Amino acid sequence: MPHMPGLRKHFHIKARDFAKAGESSLAVQSLLKSIGFDPGLVRRVSICAYEAEMNVVMHGGDGVLTLTVAPRKIILDFKDEGPGIENVELALQEGYSTATPECREMGFGAGMGLPNIKKNADSLEIHSEKGNGTHLEISITVREMS
Amino acid sequence: MTESKPLQEPIHYVHVDEKICNGCVLCMKACPVKAIRVREGKVARIDDAKCIDCGECMRICPRSAIKALMGTKHKGGSVPRDYFTAVSASTALLAQFDEGILPNDILLGLKRMGFSYVHDQTYTNEMFNVAIELFIKEHREKDDAVFPLISPICPVVVKLIAHRFPSLLKNIPPLLTSREIVARESKQRFVARYYGCEEENIKVVHITPCPSKMICIKEPIFQGSSYIDEAIAISSIYETLKKNIQSVDEDIVLHHAGGIGLGWGMSGGEIAGLDLNCLAISGLQETIKYLEKVEMGLLSHIDYIEFRTCPVGCLGGPYTVVDKYRARHNLRKLIRMFGEEKRVKYDYVKKLYDKGWFHGVSPTLPMNGPLKQSSISDISAAIEKQKKVQQVLKCLPRKECGVCGSPDCPTFAEDVVEGKAILKDCIFLRNATEKNGKTI
Repeated sequence: MPHMPGLRKHFHIKARDFAKAGESSLAVQSLLKSIGFDPGLVRRVSICAYEAEMNVVMHGGDGVLTLTVAPRKIILDFKDEGPGIENVELALQEGYSTATPECREMGFGAGMGLPNIKKNADSLEIHSEKGNGTHLEISITVREMS
Repeated sequence: MTESKPLQEPIHYVHVDEKICNGCVLCMKACPVKAIRVREGKVARIDDAKCIDCGECMRICPRSAIKALMGTKHKGGSVPRDYFTAVSASTALLAQFDEGILPNDILLGLKRMGFSYVHDQTYTNEMFNVAIELFIKEHREKDDAVFPLISPICPVVVKLIAHRFPSLLKNIPPLLTSREIVARESKQRFVARYYGCEEENIKVVHITPCPSKMICIKEPIFQGSSYIDEAIAISSIYETLKKNIQSVDEDIVLHHAGGIGLGWGMSGGEIAGLDLNCLAISGLQETIKYLEKVEMGLLSHIDYIEFRTCPVGCLGGPYTVVDKYRARHNLRKLIRMFGEEKRVKYDYVKKLYDKGWFHGVSPTLPMNGPLKQSSISDISAAIEKQKKVQQVLKCLPRKECGVCGSPDCPTFAEDVVEGKAILKDCIFLRNATEKNGKTI
């Protein structure tokens, strides 16, 4: 990740810990809100954060979210030690999911995660291969401002 | 009949009795908006700009040092005689009595207490249910509203949204709450019934289970003013009302609704009358959790959410008398007795709805005008401030003890950056420096 001046904060995400799932994205949301970003922008960022966080929780392997906040740009950087994505192109298709039946029972794993991130982010980079974890770089440009 | 002067009410009803408060940290820890600080180790102080009058601090204070101010006129349960009074009661009042005392007896008891006109709110509750159904149907078809809609009934929820979730203000439908409609109709019917009576000589009194309803009367957080003139706590009239109920000898029917309108006092009661995809959330922490979910867009498939910040719903309000679980049992028995269906006529309510009977001042603009938009320099400054907060936070022990006088370490870090506290207030940092002989 290129160096960017701004506020940086790390959040640790534990795999399979559904009780705490979503807390990092909530923390991101409340931080951005307290800074005073436009609610629409905060919503876009938190949707991205939530979907990516749930992916880490669901697919196993602990992960770290690094949030970088600058006045004009917000970057969400997810690195996890999970199984990796075998076919990135397929994973980006709506409805495609490799989630376990157990996850689906809880209402997750509808195959909308990555497509939803792509829809809400300005850029999404996925570096992943099977067995080597996943690195997601999501960036959102701040446009909504007077 | 004389003109009575309006009471000098403070903007906030929750206040700390400094003689009793010993500066423990319980209220500060319980406050959901982090509005309380215990500086100089002594007295809890509430930041008026942040307080939403939820009453959590009152509930938790072991010394009863935190109280809600009420209109002083009604001590001892007397009814003001210098004007005509119409009264409406929260359904929570109807659940405060044991078996054998029916809603109609309670309404007659109120009449006997001296209120000139008693209006049954439970019937209006059922009408409001229909109005919500119509509103949702209309806007789902037009696809021009944000879902889920959030119930406008609980004033603490509305205030919480205005403070912490302003982007969700647009989820609150622009409909008057049933207690407001009752107040408006009471005034009109009263004038119609008593020839020569002027509207300004009628005071509408609402009997309430919580201080927050008093606030939304005197200081509606949205533009527009309340039809209710005064609110009285259930607890302050309870004994007098009980005596009056015992000596009721009239045989008039004042209570018209079925079980649905009665159930509003408990969590889930409002949505029980809705044939929609709904949720009922109660308790302050749960309310915050679900508002966060709504804000993230996770619940947009839901039509309507009933939020009540008191546990169990309004029956758990600070001004109730009977234990909330017992009251809930009472209410359930009443609902069974009166039947779980609405008695209002759909077509009649639809006509009123189409005429705009339910629509009130659009609750989209908080009192202080439109939502503030931050400029790029505001944002840059806020980011710089957050960087400093993170730096301070790194030195803190994260014990979240509250001894410094701020509710937790992150808030203390913010207070330090804002110059409202100094690092030396942290007992762990102070001990560490004394041991090492270093200065902070």
